[in-house]
Amino acid sequence: MPEPEKTAATTPSVALRGPFLVAVQGSLDQAVATARPLAGRIRARFPSVEPVVLVADLRGGEAILVPPEDAQRDGGSRGRQPLLPPASQGAIPGQASPLGPALRESLARQAIGLAIVAAEPRDDEVGWLEQLLEPVVEAGFDFVCPAYRRQRTDGAINTGIVAPLLRTLYGQALRQPLGTEVALSGTLARRLLEDGDWRRRPAEAGSDAWLVAKTLGSDARIAQVWLGSWPRPSGDPEAPSETLTRALDLVFLEMARDAARWQRTGPSRPVPSFGPAGFEPGGSRLDPARMIEAFTLGLRDLRPVWDLVLPPAALLALQRTAARPSDGFELPDDLWARVVYDFAVAHMTRAVERGQLLRSLTPLYMGWLAGLARDAQRLDDRAFEDRLDAVGSAFEREKRYLIGRWRWPDDFNP
Amino acid sequence: MWEQTKRTFLEAVERVIQGIARMLPSVLGMLILVLLSTLLALLVRALVRRVCTRLDVDRRLREWGVAAPAQAGRTPPSRLAERLAGWTIVVMGFVVGLNILESAATSELALRLLGYVPHVLVALLILVAGMAVSRAVERGILIGAVNMGLHSARLLALGARWLLLIVTGAMALEHLGIGGTILTTSFAIVFGGIVLALSLAFGLGSREFVARSLERRLSEPGEKPASPPPERTHHL
Repeated sequence: MPEPEKTAATTPSVALRGPFLVAVQGSLDQAVATARPLAGRIRARFPSVEPVVLVADLRGGEAILVPPEDAQRDGGSRGRQPLLPPASQGAIPGQASPLGPALRESLARQAIGLAIVAAEPRDDEVGWLEQLLEPVVEAGFDFVCPAYRRQRTDGAINTGIVAPLLRTLYGQALRQPLGTEVALSGTLARRLLEDGDWRRRPAEAGSDAWLVAKTLGSDARIAQVWLGSWPRPSGDPEAPSETLTRALDLVFLEMARDAARWQRTGPSRPVPSFGPAGFEPGGSRLDPARMIEAFTLGLRDLRPVWDLVLPPAALLALQRTAARPSDGFELPDDLWARVVYDFAVAHMTRAVERGQLLRSLTPLYMGWLAGLARDAQRLDDRAFEDRLDAVGSAFEREKRYLIGRWRWPDDFNP
Repeated sequence: MWEQTKRTFLEAVERVIQGIARMLPSVLGMLILVLLSTLLALLVRALVRRVCTRLDVDRRLREWGVAAPAQAGRTPPSRLAERLAGWTIVVMGFVVGLNILESAATSELALRLLGYVPHVLVALLILVAGMAVSRAVERGILIGAVNMGLHSARLLALGARWLLLIVTGAMALEHLGIGGTILTTSFAIVFGGIVLALSLAFGLGSREFVARSLERRLSEPGEKPASPPPERTHHL
């Protein structure tokens, strides 16, 4: 795939003027503390913009936006409880997402743009807020998807499944598509708010997967911006099976909804990218041996479930992979792409209960991740970047397989 | 003598014919009742088939692992339910028909059978529900245990399934009134024994873990733990 553009938009535009809504999502104390300096920073960098900073609060099971001082006052009377799930974790279901209230608030204020940011501690060396807003305010983009410097195998579900999948389906290559932080133009915000899914599919509308799929499937101008180190949420990370289930359920639902469109898209093209890309120092924290063990255990014990999902050729290929020695163990990217597609088809046909289906993908994910972890330890940054791009290319090569399986799901003849 | 024999024979035949004539209306009534119940059974089968198709019962049962995937020659669960509903109506019609025969013995038999049929149906329902739940639970436990890295995942899942099946079987038998207190007592002994064995295994096996946890909790505030917890990866 050709290098993405690392410059501003090809059609420079005048900076937009008017209110710009920023919604801060996170725990009460951090959200209020994060929100306080944002208005001043926005005024200093973008004099034509009138910042409106609100804090996302969770009341009665739904997200609402309130001024920071109100959130602090009310939160003090309710006790200091977390407002919403960790923002930077991504794959937030629709009901818990502040996107809906933010869109409505931006329409009410006739905002020129809207951003949702996480209230996690982060180093500010790159001026993350200014970087996030600049493509919308000064370069005419409609959708800005952040990417972060992380350890090479961090966020592997995003980089190893969701990103290549969306690249294949919609023809645009975003590095880290799932995540709550985003910046939108007022035009796109209005269009999203008018979408019928808020009535037809209230449970899914507003999730980050829904937002990315809707935007990629439209003619909106999309950019990607590197915001420095990832704002790591406090607390222990989720078990991979739970994260897989939560994230892929949302993504596969969007995939089923948009099947008519993605079967017609052509090869992918790069997305304009701003800011310095890269990885955190250090190869990988993961232990390939444990992940290979998880894979072989799954292959031994989950065959009754995988028999309902994977064709015989894939199962045979997986057995051959398991038979390889540990130092040469690798789940080929082509096979991994086909496995993901088979699970997407099974999710659509409900061959297995969806929660159980996605949890049963965990050993396969571990098997593929073992190979990636080994590569992360031996390759340099440039080579690892190419490694991730190769995953996306593999997903694109196997698109015909996906279309065939999708149209004829009962036919196990790849 | 020949006349006497002929008269006796004719009287006997007349008695038989009169007996048959007395019973014929009852038998005809019973046959009509069986015919009506057969027609009703066909109607109920059609209704059950329609409800199962509307609710997509076969696909949902396959999705949860209760039913095996559809294959040629394998009867789908909805068809089984249809047949069961139909035959139940026919059998009940036959049992009610026995009542019409106006025989003391058959009437009593019919009444007792009729009274027992609901118990049989409920017991069947309990068994079917128990088998369905046990399969779904088995699959859920299998996947969860594999993801936790447990090498005995299959054993755990199978054990959970058989435990549920035993409970279900005991409930069904109790509902049928078979076994009485012997069954209840035996089940309590077996089930209690299994739970006791599991508790002992867990307690004895986790002694060291508990000891280490207590040691960490009771150590001086300034002391660092023996080894720092490993940093875990965020997969999204």
